[in-house]
Amino acid sequence: MNAVAEDTRKVVPFPSAAWFAELGDLMKANRARQEHLGYIDCSVAFTVTDGSADGLARHFRVVFEEFEAVDVAEVDAAAAAAADFGLAASGATWRAMIDSIAAGDGRPALTQTLNYLSHMGTPLTLVAADPLKSDLYYRYNQSLQEFVNASCAFHTVYSSAR
Amino acid sequence: MSVRVQDLSPLPVAANLDDEGLAQYEATYTSRFQVWAEVLQRNVENIHRGSYSLHWLNTDQANWGKRAKPSSRGMTYTDINRIRGYGDAPDKAEWFNFAPRGAVREPYRHEMPVIEEYTVVDKGELWADNVITLYEEAKARQWNATRDIPWEELEALPEDLEKATCQLCTFLTEIEFAAGDFPAKWMYRIPQDFLEVKSFLATQIMDEARHQEVFRKRAIAGGGLLHAAPGFEWALTAILNAPTHTMGTFLLNLLGEGLVLSIFRSGEMIAKTHVDKEIFRRCLQDEARHVSYGVLEFKNYLDTHPNRAAAEEQMHRFCDIGEQVVLSAFVEPALIEPIAVLLGGGLKHIDQGMEGVAHMWRMFIAEYQQRCKAAGFDRSTRCTIPAEFPWGKAA
Ligand SMILES: [Fe+2]
Repeated sequence: MNAVAEDTRKVVPFPSAAWFAELGDLMKANRARQEHLGYIDCSVAFTVTDGSADGLARHFRVVFEEFEAVDVAEVDAAAAAAADFGLAASGATWRAMIDSIAAGDGRPALTQTLNYLSHMGTPLTLVAADPLKSDLYYRYNQSLQEFVNASCAFHTVYSSAR
Repeated sequence: MSVRVQDLSPLPVAANLDDEGLAQYEATYTSRFQVWAEVLQRNVENIHRGSYSLHWLNTDQANWGKRAKPSSRGMTYTDINRIRGYGDAPDKAEWFNFAPRGAVREPYRHEMPVIEEYTVVDKGELWADNVITLYEEAKARQWNATRDIPWEELEALPEDLEKATCQLCTFLTEIEFAAGDFPAKWMYRIPQDFLEVKSFLATQIMDEARHQEVFRKRAIAGGGLLHAAPGFEWALTAILNAPTHTMGTFLLNLLGEGLVLSIFRSGEMIAKTHVDKEIFRRCLQDEARHVSYGVLEFKNYLDTHPNRAAAEEQMHRFCDIGEQVVLSAFVEPALIEPIAVLLGGGLKHIDQGMEGVAHMWRMFIAEYQQRCKAAGFDRSTRCTIPAEFPWGKAA
């Protein structure tokens, strides 16, 4: 018998709509947990500021409704700006967070939570048109944290450009 | 060993009423409430006669017949408010008793009591367009400070960080207590016609009870409560003493909880354990609901005021005092020093931490101004709190 168990988890590339869609599927699969956390009603634009092969931004919009991510899509900058709020960071910042979540088996290091990264405005930037919209980020913060924490259930691979 | 709820000891009873007090109560009741005696007598006579009334089957004046249907979330206030006759909160309440909005109540008005304490009668003094959403969200996102925090994982911190954490928790316990008292004070002033606001305030009271509970527990689990502070007390008293519901809501929900929301976010960032992070994340969610109500309540107040310019000027005068009293909490060493120690990573690095406090200060003032602006109130040239943290300015 092998001393190290083989990693049979699904492999999902980041950044990609598939990566966020996978998190959406996990939300659905863990419905009871979502019901315990409560409604989440907002649209979020996750931006990787240097996510494309030529170093340009890529935006992924996730629409949350009730207990599910009802829509996940890669969108252009205008559609991203129309989301309730955005969370923008470099690929390296996202990668460090995702790797930390994986290393902690679903719990990031103290310095890798969404709020830790966004609180000072950098390296993760909260973008919102007005304070009522940015308050949505705070109102659903635990749900959003658990949304990204679920990425430990699969294996993230990063595009070679990043 | 598990603890059974029914075995928990009850609170001590309040002081007994003396004979004189009771006699006074009896006299007031019999002299002031003759109508009640007539209603009682009539109904008792009917019972003796064995005579049915069945007037309640008559739907002539009722909003009867259209059945409310639940949405995917269940039966929300929004779902029932779609039915004609139930959803419209009046601009001015005229019912000062418990008769439900939308029920047949007019024929009984002359025989009904008037609750004089129901004094918040203008919709402009309490309504917010997001209040129903926030109420449903608040119910759905309740959590339990006993069970939902991974307390068993709490580890002891180095003494300076532990004391800083416990001091911050002492401050938070102190302010959350008053944050519950304010909606509790006004909730009782709100008549039936604004039941949605009353319901939301009930959730806010529950939220604040949980906040003072969780921080009290965290402090005592980490070594103990530390220092209360007069600066906190004066800020909190100013909130409780605010002359109107809107003014107090501005001071508590928009300004005060806006500040506390920043502190919770900072708390999550500077937390030295996963337990603390979870506590702050949970609390900041609740706090953001209260802030959102505060912003839209204030907006509604200004938008519906018959003399907006005068209302704004009055609020500016109120803010001139309110900002300064709230500032008395924010400059307490019992608050900013533990934050600086946590930000810096230890007592040795408190100076470094103060730079972080300066950043937080700037951010907080900017957010406060943005919230005022979102409500349609420009405080940018009149804010009495300096935009920059005045640390060491006189040195
Ligand atoms: Fe609170």
